[in-house]
Amino acid sequence: MTQVAANNVSLSWYEASARQRIDALVDAGSFCEYIGPELREISPHLSIFDLPEQFDDGIVIGHGRLDGTPVLIAAQEGRFMGGAFGEVHGAKLTGLLRAARALRQDVLILFDTGGVRLQEANAGELAIAEIMRAVIEVRRTGVSVVGLIGGRAGCYGGGSLIAGTCSRLIVSEQGRISVSGPEVIETNRGIEEFDSRDRALVWRTMGGKHRYLIGGADTFVDDEALAFRQAAIDALKIKRGCDTNVLEAEQNRLERRLQRFGEAEDAVDIWQTLGIDAPTEIPALPTDAFLRAAKRRENADDAR
Amino acid sequence: MSNWGMQKAALGERLTAGRRHAKGKIVPLPSLPAFLAAVIRSGDRVCLEGDNQKQADLLAAALANLDPAEISDLHMVQSGVVLPAHLDIFEKGIARRLDFSYSGPQSARIARMLFGRKIELGAVHTYLELFARYFIDLTPNVALIAAVSADKDGNLYTGPNTEDTPTVVEATSYKNGLVVAQVTEIVDKVPRVDIPGDLVHFVVEAGRPFYVEPLFTRDPAAITETQILTAMLAIKGIYAPYGVRRLNHGIGFNTAAIELLLPTYGEKLGLKGKVCTHFALNPHPTLIPAIESGWVDQIHCFGSEVGMEDYVAARSDIFFTGPDGSLRSNRAFCQTAGLYACDMFIGSTLQIDLEGHSSTVTTSRIAGFGGAPNMGSDPRGRRHPSEPWLKAGAEAAPDAAPALRRGRKLVVQIGETFGERNAPLFVERLDALELARELKLDLAPVMVYSDDVTHIVTEEGIANLLMCRSKDEREQAIRGVAGYTDIGRARDAKLVEQLRQRGVIRRPEDLGIDPLDADRRLLAARSIKDLMLASGGLYRPPSRFRNW
Repeated sequence: MTQVAANNVSLSWYEASARQRIDALVDAGSFCEYIGPELREISPHLSIFDLPEQFDDGIVIGHGRLDGTPVLIAAQEGRFMGGAFGEVHGAKLTGLLRAARALRQDVLILFDTGGVRLQEANAGELAIAEIMRAVIEVRRTGVSVVGLIGGRAGCYGGGSLIAGTCSRLIVSEQGRISVSGPEVIETNRGIEEFDSRDRALVWRTMGGKHRYLIGGADTFVDDEALAFRQAAIDALKIKRGCDTNVLEAEQNRLERRLQRFGEAEDAVDIWQTLGIDAPTEIPALPTDAFLRAAKRRENADDAR
Repeated sequence: MSNWGMQKAALGERLTAGRRHAKGKIVPLPSLPAFLAAVIRSGDRVCLEGDNQKQADLLAAALANLDPAEISDLHMVQSGVVLPAHLDIFEKGIARRLDFSYSGPQSARIARMLFGRKIELGAVHTYLELFARYFIDLTPNVALIAAVSADKDGNLYTGPNTEDTPTVVEATSYKNGLVVAQVTEIVDKVPRVDIPGDLVHFVVEAGRPFYVEPLFTRDPAAITETQILTAMLAIKGIYAPYGVRRLNHGIGFNTAAIELLLPTYGEKLGLKGKVCTHFALNPHPTLIPAIESGWVDQIHCFGSEVGMEDYVAARSDIFFTGPDGSLRSNRAFCQTAGLYACDMFIGSTLQIDLEGHSSTVTTSRIAGFGGAPNMGSDPRGRRHPSEPWLKAGAEAAPDAAPALRRGRKLVVQIGETFGERNAPLFVERLDALELARELKLDLAPVMVYSDDVTHIVTEEGIANLLMCRSKDEREQAIRGVAGYTDIGRARDAKLVEQLRQRGVIRRPEDLGIDPLDADRRLLAARSIKDLMLASGGLYRPPSRFRNW
C-alpha cells in the first residue's frame, strides 16, 4: 500500500494470500523460503492442458520462528487452482515433512485446498499418500504437525485426509473441512441430499464451528492472523507423539461419534444432542459466546 | 354511439361471474381455478404482476393451468417475464401476444420461444415506458397482483415490496378492469393501506408469502481488485470533480465496490457530504457501511431487498417508510425520480461498440431492459439546474450561450475490459444487431444509446465522451480505454495520447491513483457477514448468501 491506508486493523486469514499468512504468523522477518519462485519449479503437467503455471506451484514452504522457537511452515495458495495438490506442490510438502523428521522441528501446515488437481490426478493422489505417511512418521518421533484451516478454498479432498493425520487442527468459522465438497455431493447424490447453493447449509455441515463442536478440530479462533498465531503457539506446547495407543483412541472416538450422531439429519440435530441450548443460534453467535456454548462439545484430546 | 357504459357493464358481468366462486371479496384457494376461468375472457389484455423482484406467483401458476380450449389469445402486458409459469402460459397457447420489460432469469427460454414464434412480441420496454402505456394503449382488462395482507374489504398491505402495484391497480381499476390480489394472509385490519379496497375486486389467500428475488445483493467477498480499481477511478475521476450528490447505481460488482469504498477511500479523499448524499436506489446491502458512517441523507426505492426489511425500518431517517414502520417502495415514482432528479447513472454492461452504444443482449439471450435505459438517459424535459448537470453541459458544448445551454445527465458505463468468461467488453458490432435481424425487429435492443453515454470507465482509465468533438475522437477515446481487447489494440496510439493530453482520457496515474492500492482491504466490508455486523444485526441475509 503506497498512499492509501488499508483497513488493516487486522489481517483476515480468509482474505489473505499464502505469503501474507506466513508473514503474519511467524516472528517478524524470520521466514526463509525453500525452493522459492525464483527457482521456477513449475508443474510438468499443466502446460499439456494449456493452463497457466505458477512458479511456486501454489505452495510456499520454508522455516521461521514462532515466538522464538524454530518451526517449519507450508502454506497453500488457495487462489492458484484452488490450492489443489499436484506433483510438485505435493513433493514440496513431503520434502518439508521429511526435513522435519531429520531436524526434529515442528511443522505448521496452512491448508487452503480443494484437494487433488484433476489435471495431475495420479501424481496428486500419490502425493497425498506420501504426505500422510510422512506426517505419521514425523509424529512418531515426537514432532508436532499442526494444521491451520481458515482459507477461502477450505480443506477438502486429499487435504482433509492429511488434516486428519495432524497432531492438532486450528480452525476459524470460515474454515471448512470435508472430504467431499458441496458440489460433489450434490452431483452424486442429488440436490435433495445436499443443496450446494445453500451456503448456510454448507457452513453448518462443513464449517469451522461444526467441526469444532464434533471434535473434528481442536481450537476455534477468530478469522484473524494474530488469533491463528496465538493458537499455533499454544498448540505447539502440547507434545503427544503418535503410537498405537493414540491411534486406537482415535478409532474409538470416531466409532463413538458415529454411534452418537449417526442418525442425525442435520448439524442442528447434532448440536441438540450435544445438549446445546438454542442450537439454531449457533451459526450467528460471536466467538466468545460460541466458545461458552461449546463447553459440551465432543473432543479428540485423548486421540491426537 | 348510443350505448355508453359498455365497459362498466362488462366489468359487472365479470364481477357477477366471479362472485359465484367467492364469499364477498374472498376467493377460497380451492376455487381459484374455476374463479379465474370465470372472470378471464379469451383475448383479454392481462397484467400479471411481477418485475425483477416480487412475483404474483400463485396467480401466475393458476393462470398457466387454465384450459386453452376455454381461454386463449390473451395479451400479456407485464413488467417481468421471470417465472417459468410466465412462459408456460404461451407454451400452452393460453396467451399469444406479449409486451414486457424485463426477463432476466428466462432470457434464454424467451429467446427460443420468440425464434420459435410461440410468442407474438409487441415490444420490449423500459419499466416507465410500459407503465405509461398502461394508461394509453395497453390498459389491462384484468390485473393479477400480489400483496402481503388484505382485510375483508380488499384493502391491501403490500409491505416493503409495493413496487409496481399502485401503478397497475390505478391503470386497471379506474378503467373498468378487474383487479384480483393474492395475499399471504387475510387479517382483520391491515398494518397500512397501500391499495384502497374499493379498487380491489377479489382477494385470494395464498397462505404463504409471494416470491421475491434478492436481485440487488452482491457479496463483497466476490469483488475483485480490478473492480476496486475501476471504483477508485470513478470516485476520484467522476464523483469528485462533478460533485455528484444525486444518483442511481446499477446492479453489479463495480458499483457495489464504489458503495463499499465510500467510507474508506471516499473518506480519505474528503468527499463525505459532497457526493452520494441522495439516491434513487433499492436498499443495497453494500450501502450499509456508507449509511452507517453518515454518508447518505436520503434514499427512495423502486422495491425492497430480501433481508433488508428490519434495517430499513430502523433507518426511517434515510428511507421512505409508512406509519407501520416498513419501507414504502414505488417503482414508477422511483423511475421518475431517477430520470428527472438524479444527476448521474452508473452501471455495468456486457457490450459497448465503437460509437458507445451498449447492450446486455447476447444472441441467445433476451434479458429485456428493466429500468436501466430510464436511468441511463438524458431527460430532455429537465429544466432545473444543478452543478454536475451544468458542468457536464458545458463540457459538451463549451461555446454555447450558458443561459440557453442544456445541462447533461452523467451516464457512466463501468466495467473491466474483459468481463465474465473473458468476454471482451468492447466489440466491433453489438450482438443486439444480429438478434434484431433474426427476429425482424425494427429496433435493436440497445440499453444505453451512444448519445446518452458520457463516460466509460475501465481499469485502463476514464474516457470522457462529452469532450470528444468528432466521431473519430469518440472512437479513439473508446479504444483508448479498451485495454487488450481487439478494439483496444487497434487504437491510434498518437491520437489516444493527444486525447490524454486534453484530459479526454485519464489514466490512473493522471488521477494520482496507484493500481497497487486497489486492495480488498480498502473495502468497508469484505463479506456478507461484515454487512450484517455493520447493520448491528438488523440486516438478515438470505441463507444462500451466508457463509456461517
